Parts: sequence; structure tokens; C-alpha cells
Amino acid sequence: MPKLTIDGKTIEMPKGATILQAAQALGVYIPRYCYHPSLPVSGTCRMCVVEVEKTAKLQIACATEIADGMAVRTDTPAVKKARRDVLEYLLINHPVDCPICDQAGECFLQDYYMDHGLHKSRIAPGDKIRRSKRRAAGKYLTLDNERCILCTRCVRFCDEVTRTGELTVSGRNDASFIDMKEGKGVDNDYSLNIADICPVGAFTSRDFRFKARVWFLKKTGSICTGCAAGCNIEVHHNEGIVHRLMPAPNPETNTWLCDRGRMTYKVLRAGDRLSKARIKKGSMEPEPALRQAAHLIDDAAHRAGPESVAVLGSPYLSLEDNLAIAELASGSIKTGALCLDFSCEQGVKDGILINKDQTPNANGLKLLRARYGGLDQNALIGLINSGRIKLIVAEARALNSLREKLRDLSNIPTVILALAKSDLDFDSDCVLPYASYFETEGHFVNYKGRIQKTAAAVAAPEGVQPLWLVLSKISSYTGAPIKIEDTKAMSAKLSEYALGKSVIPAICKPGSIAAKSTRE
Amino acid sequence: MEKILLNVAAPDIETYIKAGGYRALKKAFAMKPEDVTAEVKKSNLRGRGGAGFPTGLKWSFIPKTNPKPRYLVCNADESEPGTFKDRELLRKNPHLLVEGLTISSYAIGAKQCYVYIRGEFAEEAELLKNAVREAAQRGFIGKNILNSGFDLEIITHRGAGAYICGEETALLESIEGKRGLPRLKPPFPAVVGLFGCPTVINNVETLASVPAIIEKGGDWYAGLGAGKSAGTKLFSVSGPVKKPGVYEIELGMPFKKFLEEYAGGMLEGSVLKAVIPGGSSVPVLTAGEALKMNLDYESVQQAGSMLGSGGIIIIDDKACMVETLLVLAGFYHHESCGQCTPCREGGGWIEKLLAKMEKGEARETDVDLVYSIAENMLARTLCPLGDALAMPVMSFITKFRPEFEAHAKGKP
Repeated sequence: MPKLTIDGKTIEMPKGATILQAAQALGVYIPRYCYHPSLPVSGTCRMCVVEVEKTAKLQIACATEIADGMAVRTDTPAVKKARRDVLEYLLINHPVDCPICDQAGECFLQDYYMDHGLHKSRIAPGDKIRRSKRRAAGKYLTLDNERCILCTRCVRFCDEVTRTGELTVSGRNDASFIDMKEGKGVDNDYSLNIADICPVGAFTSRDFRFKARVWFLKKTGSICTGCAAGCNIEVHHNEGIVHRLMPAPNPETNTWLCDRGRMTYKVLRAGDRLSKARIKKGSMEPEPALRQAAHLIDDAAHRAGPESVAVLGSPYLSLEDNLAIAELASGSIKTGALCLDFSCEQGVKDGILINKDQTPNANGLKLLRARYGGLDQNALIGLINSGRIKLIVAEARALNSLREKLRDLSNIPTVILALAKSDLDFDSDCVLPYASYFETEGHFVNYKGRIQKTAAAVAAPEGVQPLWLVLSKISSYTGAPIKIEDTKAMSAKLSEYALGKSVIPAICKPGSIAAKSTRE
Repeated sequence: MEKILLNVAAPDIETYIKAGGYRALKKAFAMKPEDVTAEVKKSNLRGRGGAGFPTGLKWSFIPKTNPKPRYLVCNADESEPGTFKDRELLRKNPHLLVEGLTISSYAIGAKQCYVYIRGEFAEEAELLKNAVREAAQRGFIGKNILNSGFDLEIITHRGAGAYICGEETALLESIEGKRGLPRLKPPFPAVVGLFGCPTVINNVETLASVPAIIEKGGDWYAGLGAGKSAGTKLFSVSGPVKKPGVYEIELGMPFKKFLEEYAGGMLEGSVLKAVIPGGSSVPVLTAGEALKMNLDYESVQQAGSMLGSGGIIIIDDKACMVETLLVLAGFYHHESCGQCTPCREGGGWIEKLLAKMEKGEARETDVDLVYSIAENMLARTLCPLGDALAMPVMSFITKFRPEFEAHAKGKP
């Protein structure tokens, strides 16, 4: 392997590596705009120049291959001047509208100006080139051409990652600008990644625009529950409000994050979120509603026997919550009409990230089914359609997924657990809210069998509790408690019943392998 | 002096053959391809497009073991202000180019050869296509040329008006049907060129010099000219001279002699003030510097500029240097592809400042500012276009500073 020195430090790197990669490995940061580790090299911004011994011109670190015996310097006066000069060029026609720019605080122009520029502006204000601002660029993006530094990361992303090619550079010289082909916007499932990789405020997220200053945001590592991919994410929040979800690149799961996954936090937004229980269409505090639910279960079990109560697991719920469901059925109600069978076809759907399985925990249910057994899905549907089931206890989306195969449900009472009003596809006299996975920890098993957990980034609405705790309380009201009263008891049960003690250490914290961001 | 390039003044094949045309081709086929390359190496022929890189050496960079097809590409995208020598060659002697293309393709083992011709050269493109047609009819190109077993197809590809497509890798992109943006190098075209295959790119005049080298030998050619600047070269001279035009001379001729004997001297009432000796992208020389130099690569470099393409722009005492530079800056700004930062942003800024200066509306500090913007572009760009603006700007300001200062002070 070629051995080289960078600023006097020696490193060996595989043949074909670039100076920038070698510097990265040594912990020497080289400023860059157009270079992005997940995109092909373009070599055009000229920010990453370094001095290579015995080479007359400065070389761009991103595209210069290392060679044995190479001596690189990243801190010479010539390098520093070249960086400053590039910054000057990039800033002459820049609007410097940082006070109203969402990128402020995470902008490579701001950061590098402080680190490498600090020059006085030499352009006469009237000489600045004005460009179009606030162009809608698809469903989620806004494009400000004036702030753009033409690094073409966005163009390369659409060309090489999504292969949808919506963007291009129009015009030439300093009249060049990022443009949308045929005037169409960015129309792919990963468009918000462009706002992430844009090093300046040119592409911003319409969803996030003007919502928060980034320096106020707190970041909590978690996982996306939008599908079976189990993408690692960062939840960005402030004062109890989630503002955006960002990918936390992890070679085991994801580099990017899809738009749909990014929008999963919308369930928390006021309006749709259930923060109160609904009993017979009337609003009720969650706590007293649990007694009502317990009463419904008791009543059905006494009248038609415990077997008349059907209990459904849900691939949308964590291992913890499904464990409580299984315990409620087999330990408390003592019904055999438990169904944990919700598997469907899995695999990457689009060659990038999005999974054919749109549920996050079908594999988690499989783990529980191995322990608890229960009916397969068709048997359960048969039972319900035969009229022998007098009460259904289920999470809303799991029941929704069976609706097509079920006959009229209007005569069967239900106890429904739901996050949002829009999850309710049917009428129910007892709807109970529970804490979302932005508000509570929960383990999920992705399509590859990787066990990961979400983190509680923000607090649940007052009185709203994790689903497993909701069920635990209901069971105690029925007089046959499932004996999971706190997180410690929950973890113990989870280890013992679902995962097996030996599996627990394999649980991966989100982003634990590579906690870098795609912002780069 | 014996003319090698402009020895024929009619584009038809009869005239060309009568003058001894296509004899070198027959001779080349009797040689091994590597011996053709060796002969060109021996001749010391250097690239006539501007860089002056040894042609034989360039050919030998084609990897011998790469199984992919090889291409010869002829750069006929002559667009530099002040340079119009290839146009003359294409008009008067297109068959010399066709013969040169065939011999050179044989030498490097290319079965397809592209001629990328400037979009504005509509007439010249027709002349070339006609020459290719005539040559094909006589069996000088096509299948099994002169029973040699060698096949060659020559494809004429017209540009669409972008100066940047004369940069060799932008030219390749353009032939491939993409936007003409210069590529990052390495890899160099000899390894990864047209359609990802090994490719040699030579200028029209370079390739047109090959037949004479093969016919009369590399040693003979190396004996012409001045030392490392071997052979003859076309010079296109423009400006206030009596006989502007294209002249073929042996390299090494004193510029003074060229100006007086070939260009006919300065127009009545005009006094030589400055010379841009190698196309508009090279540093300008004062009259004093220019009159001391000879027209060869080394001597022009010694004088502080570059022989480049041999496009000599004569500037007289009536010309305003600020206005002249503004025209050049306008050109390079307009033709910048916009890919890399210094050239994209620097070119427009320089032009704006010079425009204000020319009108007497600049700030006094703008002379230094313009110089500094150019200096910061030099050797920092992805392709040579940045230098092509930086060098004229820096040399104009260095050598004619009082004129710039007078303008900056509001006295144009």
C-alpha cells in the first residue's frame, strides 16, 4: 500500500485512494464543497486544494490519487490563500441573506468564511449578480439560485443516486444556474436529501423552512418506523416539538432517508394526533377510559367466554408493545384468539432504501410468535367472520390491514389503540391513545433481522402512555394483571420472552456505527 | 522556402495528387505502425494547437495492451481570437489533412477518426467532407486502404459555437453528445478518451505536418526550423499591418523580419505598440520585447510569452489597451463553461470592472483588484481557460499600467 505524509503525519492507504480520503483517515479536515463521500467526484469547487511536494500547481485533494512517498501539506500560506480566494469568488455574487436563511448555522459558506475567509468584500454592491429566489422545486423543496454556489451535488444526486435526473445546470459562465429539466420539479422519493447535501441555503426543505433556528435544535438518535428498512435517523427537536428527521448514516442500514420516512413525525402534529381517549364518540381523559376498556373485556369474556375476545398484534408496534398484547391475551384474558401473523413480502423495493414491507416490525412479530404461537391470520379472519368473536382488541392500522377480508365489523365491539384520528378506518366505541415512538423507546427488527430501538426524543401529551403500559393498566383493572408495571419489568420480560438473553447485547443503538451526517 | 502545408492552393484531389499528394500514405503502409510513430518522434514535431507538446510522444502514450478500440480525434475547433490558420489549411489543402489523418490513424491503430470542426466553419466543413468523399472514391480511406489490410472511417463532427469545445476533453464530451464541459484529468485521453477508449487528439496543422515527415523523413523535418522548434509553422497575423493573413514560415524567423517581409509592415501612420504572439490567451508583449524575439517556442517564451497557436495580434499606438483587454475579457467570460469556481466567478467580475474602467467609472483601486482577481485564477482552474484570461489580464496591466491607472482615475 502506498505510504504518504500529510502535514508530517504518515499514513498508509490502499492504492486508488485520494488525498482527501487519506486526510480524513488521519483526522485532517480539508474544506470542500462539491466533494461528497456518497457522490461521484466533480472536482470543480477548487476549495480542497493542497500542496503536493514536487508539484508546481496546487492539487485538488478530492481527485488526486495518493502515491507512495507523496508529501502533502494542507496548511501552507499558498493553500490558505487559495481557499480564501475561492471563498471570495463564491461570495461575490452571494446575497449574504443569512438572517433570513434556514441554512444559517449549518452553512458551509458561513463556517468556512469564519475558518478560512475573514476577508473584506471587494465587490461593489451594484456589481452583484441577482438571481431568482424561492423557486418551488417539487413537493418538498425550495430553490434559491442566488444562494447557490454551483457545487452540483444536487444534480449528481438526481443523476447517480435516484437516477431520476430532474436537475441540470443551465446557462454558462457566471450566468450558470441550477435548473429543473422541462420546468418540472424534483419528483423522486428522496428529494429532501438534496436539502441535506446542499452545502448552502440554495435547496431548503419546504417542510422545515422558517420553523426553527438550527442552533436551537436538540438531536436524538433513533430509527425510522416508516417501513421495514429500519433507517437510522436523528430526530431534531426543540421545546418538545419535533421539527425534522435527518438520516444518521449507518453502513448497516442507510446513507439517505426517504421523504415518506422524514414525514412520519407529522403524526405528532396537532389536529390529527389523539391525545385523549374516545368513548362512545365522546372525549375522555386516557386514565378513566382504561377502566371502560377493562369493563368491555370483562363483559365479553364473562358473557361468551374468554375465547370470544380476539387480540391482534401489530407490525406497526414495537416488540415491547406487542409483548404486552401477547401477555394480555394469553396471561390475562386467557384467550386463544391471539394473532401475531402479519408478515408480508420484504426486500428493497427501489434499489435504494424503501422496503416492500411498509411496516417496521413484521420480523419482531415473528420473534414473538415463536414464543406465543397464536392463530394464523386466515384462521383469525375465519373466526371473526363466523360471528364467534364478540370483542376485538387491536391497534388501529393492524386492524385496518385486515379490513378487506373482514365482513361487517359494525356489530362487533372493539377496543382500539390509535396514534392519530386518521388511523381510524372504522367506528369504535373505545379508542385509546398511546405514546408514539418519538416519545418512547421501542425495539424493532428490520428486514435484515437487525434489532434496533427508537429513543424518546420528546414527551408524549399529558396522560398519554406507552402502549404496553396502557395494556398493563387495563389488565390490572380486569383483576388479572400481566405484571409489567415499569420499564425494568418490561425489559426483563422482553429479554426473557422475545429476544433471549444472548441476543440483547446485539441490539444496536441507532447510528452507533457511523454517527456522521449526510451533510458532510 | 519550401512550403509543406500551404504548397497546394486548391481543395480538389486532382491538384493535390499532381503536387505529389497521397505518396506519403503509400510509403507509410510499407512501414510498421510503430516505425511511423518513431519517424514522427524523430521529426520533433510539436502540437500546433497551442501547447507545443511533442506529437510522437503523445502517440506513444496509447496503452499497448488495452483491448478497446482506439480513436484519432482531429481538433478543428479553431476559435481563439487572432487564430485562423487551420481555416486556411482546410480551405486550401484539405487533402493534406485527410492524408495526415490516415497516416496518423494507421500509426496509432485507430479505425475511426473524428474531425471536430468549429460550428462557424460551414464552408470548411463542406470542403473537408468533399475531400473525405474524394479520398474514399480513390480508395485512400475506407476498407482495406491500398490493399494494406487497414480500414479507416473519417467522421466530420460539427461543433455548435462553444469555444470551450476546443479544449480537448470538452471536445470529447461534445462528440459523445453531451454538454461540452472539460473533464478532470487524469485520466488523460490517451488512456480514457472518446467513449472511454484510448484516444489521441491532435490539431489540424499538426496532423497536416505528418505526410511530409513520412515522405521525407523525420531527420529532414527536424533539420528545418530552430533546434527544438522544428519544422515549418503557420502564423496568422491580424491588426494594423499591410498584409494581414496566414503565412507558412520556418520556425525561428525573427519576428521583425516576419512583420516586415510577410505581414508587409505596419499600416501608414501606425506605430507598433504591442504584440500578442500566440492567440489571444497568451501574455502580451511590448513592441520592444516583440522586436527582439524570434518566432519559435523557446524564443517567444524567453521574451515572456508563448508561441501558442501562432495567432499574432498586432496592436498599434492608436489602440486603447483597456478597451482591448475588455474585448478579450468579454470573450473569455462569455466562453467560460461555468464549472469551476475561479473561472466562472472571476471572468465576469473582471469584465465588469474593466467595462467601468473603460468608461472612466472605476475606483482607483480597481486596477489592483482586476490584477488580483486574475492572479487568483491562474493555475487554479480545472482547464486552461482560466489561465487564458488570467495571463492577458496580468500582462496587460503589468506592461501598460499607466493607461489603466489613467482610466481608473476617470480620464479615458
